[in-house]
Amino acid sequence: MSNSTVPRSGTEASTPEKDGKTPVVPPGGATGSGRGRGQGKLSLRLRFRRDRVLLLMTLPAVLLVLLFNYVPILGNVVAFQEYDPYISDNGIVSILNSPWVGLENFQRIFDDSAFWQAVENTLVLFFLQLVVFFPVTILLALLINSVVRPRVRAVAQAVLYLPHFFSWVLVIAVFQQMFGGAGMLSQLLRQHGYDGLDIMTDPNTFPFLITSQSVWKDAGWGIIVFLAALASVPQDLYEAAAMDGANRWRRIWHVTLPALRPVIALLLVLRVGDALTVGFEQILLQRDAVGPGAAEVLDTFVWWNGVRNQDFGYAAAAGLVKGVVSLGLVLVANKVAHLMGEQGVYRK
Amino acid sequence: MTPNAASASSGPSRRSFLASTAVATAAVAGGMPLLAACGGADSGSREGTTSGKDAKKILPAYVASNVVTPDIPAKNGSPIGFTSKLDLTTLKTSVPKKLGKGGKVTIMSPFWGSPPKQDNPYYKGMNDLIGVDVVWQNQDGNTYDQKLGAVLASSDVPDVVVVPSWNMGGKIPSAIISKFADLGPYLSGDAVKEYPNLAAIPTDAWQRCIIGGKLRGLPMPQSYVTGIVPLYRKDIFDKEGYEVPRTADEFLALAKEITNAKAKRWACLDMKWTAWQMFGVLSGSEKPLGWNLVDGKMINRIETEEYLEALEWTRKLFAAGVVHPDALMGKNAPDPGPKFAAGEFLIYSNNISQWWSRTAEQATQNPEFKIWGMDVHGHDGGDPTVWAEQPAGIFAYVNKKASEAVIRDVLAVANVTAAPYGTKEYMMTNYGVEGTHYTVKDGVPIKTTAGNNQVMNAYVMVASPAATLAHPDFPEVTKAQVEWQQRMGAFTKKSSFFGQMITEPARYTNLSNDFEQLEDDITRGRKKISDMQQAVSDWKKKGGDQLRDWYKKLLDDNGSAAS
Repeated sequence: MSNSTVPRSGTEASTPEKDGKTPVVPPGGATGSGRGRGQGKLSLRLRFRRDRVLLLMTLPAVLLVLLFNYVPILGNVVAFQEYDPYISDNGIVSILNSPWVGLENFQRIFDDSAFWQAVENTLVLFFLQLVVFFPVTILLALLINSVVRPRVRAVAQAVLYLPHFFSWVLVIAVFQQMFGGAGMLSQLLRQHGYDGLDIMTDPNTFPFLITSQSVWKDAGWGIIVFLAALASVPQDLYEAAAMDGANRWRRIWHVTLPALRPVIALLLVLRVGDALTVGFEQILLQRDAVGPGAAEVLDTFVWWNGVRNQDFGYAAAAGLVKGVVSLGLVLVANKVAHLMGEQGVYRK
Repeated sequence: MTPNAASASSGPSRRSFLASTAVATAAVAGGMPLLAACGGADSGSREGTTSGKDAKKILPAYVASNVVTPDIPAKNGSPIGFTSKLDLTTLKTSVPKKLGKGGKVTIMSPFWGSPPKQDNPYYKGMNDLIGVDVVWQNQDGNTYDQKLGAVLASSDVPDVVVVPSWNMGGKIPSAIISKFADLGPYLSGDAVKEYPNLAAIPTDAWQRCIIGGKLRGLPMPQSYVTGIVPLYRKDIFDKEGYEVPRTADEFLALAKEITNAKAKRWACLDMKWTAWQMFGVLSGSEKPLGWNLVDGKMINRIETEEYLEALEWTRKLFAAGVVHPDALMGKNAPDPGPKFAAGEFLIYSNNISQWWSRTAEQATQNPEFKIWGMDVHGHDGGDPTVWAEQPAGIFAYVNKKASEAVIRDVLAVANVTAAPYGTKEYMMTNYGVEGTHYTVKDGVPIKTTAGNNQVMNAYVMVASPAATLAHPDFPEVTKAQVEWQQRMGAFTKKSSFFGQMITEPARYTNLSNDFEQLEDDITRGRKKISDMQQAVSDWKKKGGDQLRDWYKKLLDDNGSAAS
């Protein structure tokens, strides 16, 4: 959801780990695929020959990743410049001609209370989304999975998936109509003698608003992976558990959830890597309604300073900080997954 | 960045062109101005301004051309007004020979409303009349500042880019100087006479087109009297017996009386822009307008008592619950038009052009509806001090990579769109094609639905004639608009840098980026007045005081254009 609309070259470039991993894994995976031969014994050349077809097939993807994920990373050098894109018609020439300022941009960032406010808001939103969003999707998946009649199930799934395809502009307009200060709920309350509610513009409850909007919009979509995992749980496990006298809850606890564990761990690690990306468009659209004190997150901070104020060097530095922290988080989360005995995203 | 409403006023004031949403809203950001070389026309300096002899060398000659005598002549800086019927059969021709050479010109411009399709009859008719194939890239005017910086940073800049002065924040002035062509060779001095309608644009508007020591822009002239009007539902006021308030306290009391949330009625939207006027706060539409020399000291609007008082009063309105909840949404609030028509709120502050456009919109379906403008009084009931806006606030710039043929074609477009009232070109630009976009009833052109949807703020952005108010369909509105500006004009003062196009040094351009946001935080009760005082003191330390010295020196060197 975050990479729509507004250009965010700074942030995109600085979080390569997000997309970079997919294509990088296959070559390693191919080699390690265990055909009964120790890989250490083969020379590089032989392995290359053996896997050439596979390597050739990954080539286009690798090129795309290089071009769109790795080359733009080089643009992060502007974080060390007082970058002015307007001094020439060519971005590279502009970079060459912009003055170097060393770590000044980073110094400014660490002194900028607005930046720290954005960090705080980002983390609050991340944790809230993690705590609310995940359980809701798992719950929904279990619920849908327990529906036996295919027709009912198809309808329920369609209804749940649908909001995912609405744009944020639309979702927020709907929320405004329902929960805004002059919306349905407030007017209903007023007509019955209560005060109207300020749900859409109250900075204090903003994180909950944002989270409930994402749950409404995307929880249905999020269950797809879980449903797939559920479908692969062998039926005989349930039957065996039932024979042993396990009731419904115990079957869920001892059979279903353990089966979902690897998927949950994987998604959690991925989510943590994305932790600092908490919904750019959604928040930008509501930034004015509650003010930047409550709504500025790292992505909107980068956007505001870079695209809106043309302070590109400063914005790039903020984006770079975000990228580095994200990378650290994903490494830590992966490690934790390993300690828990799960596969995680990758293993050396 | 810096706030302001004012800007808004500007653009469109003369025309109805903002049919739907407000420019004003758009004006979100304050603006910054421009630039130029103190040194001389050919110096490469990007800071400062160009005035006096240096400016004279590059300004186009002025050749007046009034095809029709205005019914209301300009007074106190007001636009000229036309209220009598126009004989549509004897319209003059101001462009006898098509100047366009049939080339293709792409234009990116802010657009308020839903842009029509490129192949609509209005765009086609205009292109035929001009002889140039204009291809529009209409962008949402309310968020134009968010796209401008990125487009100008690319290597693919359209042939023409329209830039409102309130969108000239950050490094935009520096981008304008390096990306756009010097039109001097085509327009300076007598050269402009090849384009008679451009030659009739007042010199003070052209003065504002000089940036970086060169004549780079094509202007949309406007009255320097503010165009931000407190608009209200006169029909409901009359019915309920509400009196138009004369003081800030009366306003608040009336607002409380009007508000009945249970019945879905609130008094107003965000009245910050009106508060600036009532309390006499210096304009925020452009950074230089916010500076004024008081007793030998350069003072910025944010340092004044009036500024804080205006914020405090606006805060009280929000706190009293008399502001429609939509206004809390800020820039992303829905178009106020339908809710104003439904009577959900009765007062809002916006561009004077809405006085006419809302009238026209509602005329057929809602005959009771009457929108009118309140006079602005001082907050204590005395005479207000209203600070002057700039005599031009929207500019069209031509890509420096454009060939001479393209530049000539752009000037051909401008020469048609700048045609004065009473000509066929004006009629086509503002009303479209007879039969398709308007019908004539009793000699008065009435826009059709197609006219309302297609003939909007596109071509007028390239260049416009001297500020004109003419709505033959609603002459009483036209008269009231001009008279409102004349009355306000009597209270209008010019601050030190009125009329100049000034570019601040790059190191200060981001200094006041966050003030508009902070104002909104305070009025909505999210931050305190003391936070503003803190921000002002930080601003001084971070460069505000040096910027003050810079402006002082600029004034000492160049003098003031304000009289």
